[in-house]
Amino acid sequence: MTLAPDEDLMLQVRDGAGEMLGVLFDRYQIPLFNFYSKLTGDRALSEDLVQEVFLRILKYRHSYRPGTSFRAWVYQIARNARIDHFRKFPPQSTLNPEMLSAVVPTDSAQAHEEVELLQRALQQLPEEKREILLLCRFQELKYEEIASLLGCELNTVKTRIHRALQELRKAFHQLAGDTVLEKAEAAAAENSPPPGGRHEV
Amino acid sequence: MKCEQIAELLPDYLQGCLGPDQQNSVEAHLQQCADCSGEVAVWKKLSILPAEQPSPASRARFEGMLQAFQAGRSSQPATASRWRQSASVWNVFQWLRSPLAAIAWSAALLAIGVYVGLHMSGSKSHLRDLAAMQSELTTIKQLMVVSMLQQQSASSRLEGVSWSTRDPQLNPQVLSALLHTRRYDPSVDVRLAALDALSRHGRQPQVQKGILDSFPEQQSPLVQMALIDLLLEWREPDADQRLQALQQTPNLNPIVRQRAEWARSKLN
Repeated sequence: MTLAPDEDLMLQVRDGAGEMLGVLFDRYQIPLFNFYSKLTGDRALSEDLVQEVFLRILKYRHSYRPGTSFRAWVYQIARNARIDHFRKFPPQSTLNPEMLSAVVPTDSAQAHEEVELLQRALQQLPEEKREILLLCRFQELKYEEIASLLGCELNTVKTRIHRALQELRKAFHQLAGDTVLEKAEAAAAENSPPPGGRHEV
Repeated sequence: MKCEQIAELLPDYLQGCLGPDQQNSVEAHLQQCADCSGEVAVWKKLSILPAEQPSPASRARFEGMLQAFQAGRSSQPATASRWRQSASVWNVFQWLRSPLAAIAWSAALLAIGVYVGLHMSGSKSHLRDLAAMQSELTTIKQLMVVSMLQQQSASSRLEGVSWSTRDPQLNPQVLSALLHTRRYDPSVDVRLAALDALSRHGRQPQVQKGILDSFPEQQSPLVQMALIDLLLEWREPDADQRLQALQQTPNLNPIVRQRAEWARSKLN
């Protein structure tokens, strides 16, 4: 048995079979949640936005046209939902990676540290760079689909991806370098006695 | 190959979309260039980021929302089927034969007249004439919206609502037609669209008042939820009271009740 394509299910939803949206929810809930949580660093908000996306799918179901990629359409809705949210409630604090209570596979302390560094590096990127990386790396959108989503040329998308990747590499190496330095400093501080004649009170 | 040339190919290389020749060139460069290979490494490393799971309550929230939606639909089966029927027979040729199209054609011809006029002459009296023609054009557009909002078919009325959003300013006649549609239109979808259109002009006090006054009459959970969101957005002084009153409505859909509770917590 083959799975019904997303597009067929959406057409059924459009024609009144609202219950078929449950299947699409099962397919898209986790990718959308991850898109938002990696973008905003806020789990509660990400869950709210996922609900908003599915509410909008129902509200605007008549605007879905046969032949349109459902994935591209739903990410268009997802982007708009986030933009509208931040228009109504401007973010009050900068991104805080600690808000993400990620379930990290702790095979080793080093793997754990790498995940954390990468998350921090990703969060240091400007939002549009983080977004484009998430769209192409995790959301399985084709470059053409991203171009139409962002309203730009295909070559612009490729350039932007390359620049985002350059910046991510720099941020990651910077953070990794800082961590190594901090560790070295901490080790040096433990091993060396305090400077002679000066005692902390 | 230089880094700039590689930069053009790298995004396709990462997706495995290059031909064998280009693939080999990129790989040869990567072996020599630490920066470019670092980019590929960080791209690959992104896969270690764990896929996070939303809370189990998320699915239940979705189910509730879907039920609320279906409850809203089933309360108006006649409208829904009428709409589907009219949407299926709706086509461009029918539209072109309608009186509505006549208005549209008049507007288009007038627009052409204005355009030609602008390019033919620059004298003051002509400019005055043109200003008069432009104002006439605006009036025709407004008439068209009002007329579309009164059509039998829900899809024409939806079209009318979407036309009304093309003007940055709401004229009183269009405003009153939209408010009427939002309040009394038999189709939930048209009411929701009208609410969306009106909310763009939420800064105008009479728009806010018109929307909020019809709050208690709305029975559809979807419309109620959209209204709750607007109350939260506008942060009117009496928003909390209105939400509290809504929560006390007997037989209120539980999802709407939850949404009102959530909005009140955001307000305080």
